[in-house]
Amino acid sequence: MVYCIGHSIISPLGEGSQANFDAVQAGRTGLKIHTDRFADVEPFCASLFDTPQSFVPLCIKSVEQALVYGSLSMVRSSDTIFILSTTKGDNLDLWTSAQAIARHFCNTNPPVVVSNACTSGVCAQITAQRLLEAGMYRQAVVIGCDLQTRFIVSGFQSFKALSPEPCLPFSPDRKGLNLGEAAATIIYSQQPIANSQQPFWTLETGSIHNDANHISAPSRTGEGAYQCLTDVMDGVTPDEIALIGVHGTATPYNDAMEQTAIERAGLQNVPKNMLKPFFGHTMGAAGVLETILCMKEAERQKTQKPIHVIKMLSGFGGVNAAIRLKSEY
Amino acid sequence: MEQLIDQLKAQIIEALNFEDMSPADIDPDAKLFGEGLGLDSIDALELIMLMDREYGIKLTDPKAGKAIFQSVRTMAEYIQANRTK
Amino acid sequence: MLNAESYIEITPASVVRNGQPIAVSETGDRMLVELYRRYAGDYPKFFKMDTLCRLGFIAAEILLKEPTANSQQPTAIIMANRSASIKNDTDYLATISDGNYYPSPSLFVYTLPNIVTGEIAIRHHIQGETAFYILDTPEQLETIVKSQKSKTQSPEPILCGWVECSAANEFYAKLQIIWNN
Repeated sequence: MVYCIGHSIISPLGEGSQANFDAVQAGRTGLKIHTDRFADVEPFCASLFDTPQSFVPLCIKSVEQALVYGSLSMVRSSDTIFILSTTKGDNLDLWTSAQAIARHFCNTNPPVVVSNACTSGVCAQITAQRLLEAGMYRQAVVIGCDLQTRFIVSGFQSFKALSPEPCLPFSPDRKGLNLGEAAATIIYSQQPIANSQQPFWTLETGSIHNDANHISAPSRTGEGAYQCLTDVMDGVTPDEIALIGVHGTATPYNDAMEQTAIERAGLQNVPKNMLKPFFGHTMGAAGVLETILCMKEAERQKTQKPIHVIKMLSGFGGVNAAIRLKSEY
Repeated sequence: MEQLIDQLKAQIIEALNFEDMSPADIDPDAKLFGEGLGLDSIDALELIMLMDREYGIKLTDPKAGKAIFQSVRTMAEYIQANRTK
Repeated sequence: MLNAESYIEITPASVVRNGQPIAVSETGDRMLVELYRRYAGDYPKFFKMDTLCRLGFIAAEILLKEPTANSQQPTAIIMANRSASIKNDTDYLATISDGNYYPSPSLFVYTLPNIVTGEIAIRHHIQGETAFYILDTPEQLETIVKSQKSKTQSPEPILCGWVECSAANEFYAKLQIIWNN
């Protein structure tokens, strides 16, 4: 396992993990109908920054907000690796963007970009855990970020995947997904922060499985998602799980597939944490942003200790991923 | 109508990347989905785009597409009745 | 260098498997079609794929044609490149150009490089891990694969490698089957 030693969220709902969590608690949403953001594109419902953002500066700000005071030396260290989760970045050269972010913090290790469609944010955390547990690095800065563009919105519209209204995950009335943009960072370390009074979270385990069914439609039996859930449940029972952060894109097939996988894994009584009605689908940022908010929600509940949460995602290419985190005092 | 069917067959072959097929290989009454040509969900979306691009027909309800996309002939009949290009 | 049981290297004009060249008469994307007809031929979905996916698909097809030493299917597919899906991004952009806005869903789906791992998984019924990374060098991929093997301790082989494509006639792939050792 590896320790979470910092996190941050920057979204249309505000800056800071706490501010974003408070916004969700207050029922605020970033979703709005946009009619003239991009040429030719039909009106769409999405959560976008009021002022268009630049990718690299946004990621840098996200990392800065995740660092606690005095850890600039940590990010500069050769023991630290930067891992970026994004689907399209801000231009087509994703690796150069990642390098620019790392270089800003004077980190000279070549960064890693995870490009596993919408599961990237969870896969990036799994990659971080493996690199740290293998002793290759001692810290990993995991950044998830995506900004919406005409390229992405037009593509999802061609898939008829978008809902014209705010999305309704797992509802029988669901009509599709909304897009979103955000930047989120989680910093993992081999060691916990010394003398911390706060509960600390550990990333216990993660799993990635392909449905091997279709490149853009999920398996009707939720095969890959089910295998991921089974893997991350190894060693714990369903009543130890405080909540599942579902993918919950509100497309007819995705939510049905997730429900099937959750039932097959015996997790149907675990509360679902659904965040896309607040943030939209933030693509490469989703796995990181939604994991942070699962942690915050579990902390709020204070139901039992230790607390476990699961975050699951699926994406184009038939890929599914899940992680389980644990909180202890 | 026959001319439209031939044109449509050629457009379908190109849009759906049926490299090893010629228009003569497509039976205009054969099922497009399921058995027959065995098209999938992405193919259905490409056909919707083809209707817009070549014939100016915008299909907003994917479910209505089921009846229209039964076969090349049903597609041609719908295009004949609704084309704006 | 990871211990590879077998490997294949493909450029626009050459194919080499375990040090042995495979004769081809075409080049570029047409060469990939030629190889498809010779080594597969039963999978019309190949023609829907973009060049990056065709490249990865064919490399995997040839490599997995002959059984591994222990006759085991790979249980994970981990691949990487430097330029993501740049060729297909350009092709998709052409369908949303000014005055000619007809976004193509079949091109859009290939604007994610991890789709190549999905195509290989579907073809070979691999329900294990699939992952794609954007990295500067293949050596970075070795580090990631080593950490995956160290974590999963799986005795089964994995298929991993580099697949790069910037145009129909500019590409490079090197795929290997790696064992845990």
